[in-house]
Amino acid sequence: MRTPSTFKTLPVVGRATIAVVVAVWLLLPLLPVLVWATADRWSFPDVLPSAWGVQGWRGAADAGLLSALARSLGLGLAVAAVATPLGVMLGRVLGWRLGRHPRVLVTVLLVPLVLPPFAVSMGLDVLMIRLGLPEPVSVVLLLATLALPYTAYTSAVGFSRTSPDLAAQARALGATARQARARVVLPAIRGPIVVAALLAFLVGWSDYVVTLLVGGGQLITAPVLLGSAAAGSGNDAIVAAMAVATLVPPVLLVTLASRARMAP
Amino acid sequence: MTSRARSIRATSRPALPALAVTLALVASACSGPSPDESPRAADRPWDEVVAEAQGQTVDLWMFGGDEAGNAYVDDVLTPAAAELGVTLRRVPVADTKDAMNRVLSENAAGSTDGAVDLVWVNGDNFATGQEAGAWWCDWADDLPNLQYVADDDPLVAEDFGVPVDGCEAPWHKAQFTFAYDAARVTDPPTTVAGLLDWAEQNPGRFTYPAPPDFTGSVFVRQALYALSGGADEVPTSYSDEAFDDLTPALLDRLSELAPSLWRGGTTYPRDQQALDQLFADGQVDFTMTYGPATLTDLVADGTFPSTTTVLSVEDGTVGNASFLGIPASSPDQAGAAVVANLALSPEQQAAKADPAVWGQFTVLDVGLLDAADAARFANLPDSPVVPPYEELSRNAQPELASSWVNPLDEAWRREVLGSP
Repeated sequence: MRTPSTFKTLPVVGRATIAVVVAVWLLLPLLPVLVWATADRWSFPDVLPSAWGVQGWRGAADAGLLSALARSLGLGLAVAAVATPLGVMLGRVLGWRLGRHPRVLVTVLLVPLVLPPFAVSMGLDVLMIRLGLPEPVSVVLLLATLALPYTAYTSAVGFSRTSPDLAAQARALGATARQARARVVLPAIRGPIVVAALLAFLVGWSDYVVTLLVGGGQLITAPVLLGSAAAGSGNDAIVAAMAVATLVPPVLLVTLASRARMAP
Repeated sequence: MTSRARSIRATSRPALPALAVTLALVASACSGPSPDESPRAADRPWDEVVAEAQGQTVDLWMFGGDEAGNAYVDDVLTPAAAELGVTLRRVPVADTKDAMNRVLSENAAGSTDGAVDLVWVNGDNFATGQEAGAWWCDWADDLPNLQYVADDDPLVAEDFGVPVDGCEAPWHKAQFTFAYDAARVTDPPTTVAGLLDWAEQNPGRFTYPAPPDFTGSVFVRQALYALSGGADEVPTSYSDEAFDDLTPALLDRLSELAPSLWRGGTTYPRDQQALDQLFADGQVDFTMTYGPATLTDLVADGTFPSTTTVLSVEDGTVGNASFLGIPASSPDQAGAAVVANLALSPEQQAAKADPAVWGQFTVLDVGLLDAADAARFANLPDSPVVPPYEELSRNAQPELASSWVNPLDEAWRREVLGSP
């Protein structure tokens, strides 16, 4: 893996090339989707649509895209709200106490990721139904569990780069334990926490299986709607509109978060 | 480091189809009760069911990729259910297996307060639920509108060889259909075996979805009938003996054909949607579907060429019916039964059969209807693309038992996939 420091030492031309390749790699597959989202008719072998329009958007709106996006937003926020504080607490232990054993840290955190999330959720699915929790609560709890490795890992990295002495120094200067945490330690790892929250949000925002199966169809979020529309033929414009609408909020958030992180 | 965490997340998410299969395996492995334990509906007057249904909300889980089907349920069926005091709520899924996974989990948890009240289902998914004792049974025989369904209709009595046994109510019929572009195919074949010959004579212009995709799987069964000397030669129920006897000819023929398929048979479309895309793009000249109703729309909106024509197959194609099933774990069974009965009414069946609405073939026997209701069907406009059911279902063949499906798909994967 290329770390930021080796990236910076590359010649400028090399960096530019990498940036272009990455941009093409990421954006090229999106191009047809963007075109489809504004096409009413586009048949092979036409290079561009023969009729432009908003049919796809209208169809997506009729299928309930707006309320689905609102549900996705709520779900993403709820997952982030549960998984971020837990992740920070876990990250503190991992980053400060186990910081000298990075291999242990990585293994502990990555083990849950090796287990496919759907296998985990299938077992817990039956348990959740037995518990009789309201379905949306079960979904948030399960997705927060799936998001925990990301939030804990990100925070652990933040803590491991911050000296535990920081808190001790604040205490020596007369701060209470709570003040030291809230005014000194947390601000010092603000960047990793923002990223952790963002990752947790994305887990909630993009999930299909847990939302549908554990949610019992009560939570028709954007991915659920998108998945069902994409399973049919001839829905390309609608699917493209839904895909764009589902993609834009996370992309915006990631951009904003990276700005916030860069800011001094 | 965060970019690493993100990339791990991105790569650890498997593709949906693989997921669905695994989920089905996991789910079926943990399901408990046997079919004999299927809960059965009590015998009671229909009025009581209707009264109990008042105010219930029925969650109907159904494949959401068919826009016309979604529109029919939202705009026609749901308002009619509301008039009967039942709120109908459509839950769109990418695959009916998603609904079955939820039902099986509820079943395994012993829940009677489940989230699924009604499922648009047939074939393998019905059989899976039946094996697990996850369906509510006997209710479907009591629906008043069942009087318009012919008693001796084999498509309605069995669902892919599994007796329906009052555990699901018929909804509509489907006929496996080949379509071709008449502008490019000037000498269309007239039999399924002829279609295979045509593919050989026109290299690269024909392909089929790779089993275990639903449509690809049907195609292989259709080819099995054609290469075994007709549907009568293939026993409906599975036996190792019949399998060993009949499949070598099928597998040899399909392997032999593979180099003449699209891209030399080195790859196959993933599903019907991918095949439809190839057909829409003019890369192949044939497509196939178990839902011919969608062809009307696909031609009307320009996805398919206006010269799309349904292939007339002399030896006939397989047909089936699809159903509405009520899970044992549904808390709104009375409401679900009322909706299933409503969906079976002549008004709803005729509305749904209109190609402008959904174009699904009715399960009713028009001969059993009174004059006014029969007229609803007589007055239906013809689809410019899809011939009427009587024509499409000429020489129709029954589906094989669902226990045939897995061995055939597996043999295809072993012998045909990657054979060139």
